[in-house]
Amino acid sequence: MTQHRAHIGIGSNLGERAANVERAFAAIAEMGTLVAKSSIYRAAPWGKTDQPWFANAVALLQTPLSPRELLDALQAAERRLGRTPAERWGARVIDLDLLLYDELDIDEEGLRVPHPRLRERAFVLVPLAQIDTRFGALRDALPEAEARSVAPLGESASGMPVQGTHSIADRVRALAQFLAGSDAVRVRIARPSDEIEVARRGSEAGAASRAVDRIPAETIAPRIDTIKADLVGIFHSSRPAPVEGEVFEGDRELGYIEALGIRTPVHSMGPGRLVSNSAMDGAAVEYGQPLFAIARP
Amino acid sequence: MFRKVLIANRGEIALRINRACQELGVATVAIFSEPDRDSLHVRQADEAFCVGPGPAGRSYLNIPNIISTALITRCDAIHPGYGFLAENARFAEICTDHGLTFIGPKPSVIALMGDKATAKRVVSEAGVATTPGSDVLDSPEEAQAVAAAIGYPVLLKATAGGGGRGMRVVRDASEMPRAFAGATAEAEASFKDGRVYIEKLITAPRHIEVQVLGDEFGNLVHLGERDCSVQKPSHQKVIEETPAPNLAERTRSALHEMARRASRYVGYSNAGTLEFLVAGDDVYFMEMNTRIQVEHPVTEMVYNIDLVKEQIRIAAGEPLGYAQSDLVARGHAIECRINAEDPQNHFAPAAGTVSKLVFPGGPGIRVDTHLYAGATIPPYYDSMIAKVVAFGDTREVAIARMDRALRETLIEGVSTTIDLCLEVLETDEFRKGRYDTELLLKEPLHR
Repeated sequence: MTQHRAHIGIGSNLGERAANVERAFAAIAEMGTLVAKSSIYRAAPWGKTDQPWFANAVALLQTPLSPRELLDALQAAERRLGRTPAERWGARVIDLDLLLYDELDIDEEGLRVPHPRLRERAFVLVPLAQIDTRFGALRDALPEAEARSVAPLGESASGMPVQGTHSIADRVRALAQFLAGSDAVRVRIARPSDEIEVARRGSEAGAASRAVDRIPAETIAPRIDTIKADLVGIFHSSRPAPVEGEVFEGDRELGYIEALGIRTPVHSMGPGRLVSNSAMDGAAVEYGQPLFAIARP
Repeated sequence: MFRKVLIANRGEIALRINRACQELGVATVAIFSEPDRDSLHVRQADEAFCVGPGPAGRSYLNIPNIISTALITRCDAIHPGYGFLAENARFAEICTDHGLTFIGPKPSVIALMGDKATAKRVVSEAGVATTPGSDVLDSPEEAQAVAAAIGYPVLLKATAGGGGRGMRVVRDASEMPRAFAGATAEAEASFKDGRVYIEKLITAPRHIEVQVLGDEFGNLVHLGERDCSVQKPSHQKVIEETPAPNLAERTRSALHEMARRASRYVGYSNAGTLEFLVAGDDVYFMEMNTRIQVEHPVTEMVYNIDLVKEQIRIAAGEPLGYAQSDLVARGHAIECRINAEDPQNHFAPAAGTVSKLVFPGGPGIRVDTHLYAGATIPPYYDSMIAKVVAFGDTREVAIARMDRALRETLIEGVSTTIDLCLEVLETDEFRKGRYDTELLLKEPLHR
């Protein structure tokens, strides 16, 4: 029987995420022969602190199934592993996407291969590149901040969602660089979520009279704001539609949410650069659903 | 029948409604607040939408977001469950205005009976006895005048009330200003309606309620009574049972008859409950709850009728399909409410995460709960986490089953009221079926 190679993306942000991904690996293995599996990655939802993080992974499967048969098998596995059949917004127990199938290009009703999200999303590309070196270049082309938002599970501080786009290592490095070029004796950085204080070895004498150097928080971690839906309705994009990478000098109307016949505009809330755009024109949005991530100047 | 129903609630009742819909082949949409994202009702419904943050006022009471969700997901009906928007006539009206069927009585009837003071006036027109009391009161001074006329002690109650919230016992005139302010504030916070009225406090009464079910063609039956006399000092029910033990048959039939007469008089449709105070041979109508009640399962057990499915069928325009004479109750059913509360701290609601969980099973036991091992109990909502229902051919069998079922139950991670329920089951008064609403005020049960 002819064997095909299929890459499958796995995501979970509900319940025991890592365990869900492991169960998904086992379910996928039943559809053929599991050739490779990536590490399980923890993907921070953009700039969000109150939304559950995703566990993501990619599996490489050798299978006799046709693309359509494989898609059906994946959907059946999703149902079995707990994803509710109808479309839901936000949390899901397990999400299985057919990313690639041999070298095929398919665009049919409900079946698109390569998967449309493949080339643009770090949470797919990072694990994919780990098991398939062809994608290394694409992964390396990801904006640095986005690539950093995906880390192997267990590498981020336990229990703490990865905040913003800079790892703790980045922040400490920036701090060390700052200290090297400064004669400050004691530096304290306080953010809403944590606080760090670094003191230079030796005497503090003489420091008392010196003015305290202040470094803007941005050099440690640029602020990323998430614009969320604050009501339930249908999101409509502004024309022209906001695109990732777009820089706005002032406030930009990004779209509006229509509910009960009333249009509530969604604003950028000031200047910035659009880092990510997860708002789909014409789609239903729930309360608190992230629509845009904006890096502030 | 409906194609899709939005369940405007959370917790066990959201699951209960979801189950009824699934058995009827009706699709469901759950709504949830941010801290309820991992809740069981979110997982079990066909679709789920977050409608707001934790505080109920911004999520489960957020009418625009709830209606918007129903319209986006193309629901044809909304089931409000109990609490939250269940007895909000304006909400029922708004549903209708948007082409959504509100699963419950007509908005005008909710408004009429939902205003507890008006309800008493209306049922007395139908020839049903009511407790002496007042209409809506504007000030503590007015309350003092009414109380002086009917005699202390009196009860201050929220007109929009239920579940003991917005309620205060006032023993003399000096307590009135403080009680009035407290009841008004609590009612405002709980129901967005701070109006209160006075009722004479009947000492040591039994609290007995009658379940009614009416269709939209004028057919209306009662489904017996429930004795809900085991109540905390806050008037929250702890244990309910049906039939009421040691109730004179003439009193029982009088209650059933009054409930039907009052319901017919107001043109009631869908499920409803009339609450009465019973003191000896005297029976007083207290209030009507125009919704499904927490304790509805005991009635379901003895009548073998699924009340929530009946609610949905009736709202979809189906006739009852049976007459009063077709209905015969069999056996005895008891329900214990298990709350996440700290018995060491005046039963203050306890939030936390459930680490271990074992629910009882075996013959005659039903458990309605939204709990699972690992579930987090947020601090924003009602503290009830499970209802354990025991059925038996006789009251003795039901009690024995309840007793062993509660001992089988294991909930770790949060404090619960299981031990309180077990203590009640062991009292001589409960065993003999001779108790009233003061049972939990007595030593050694006194808390």
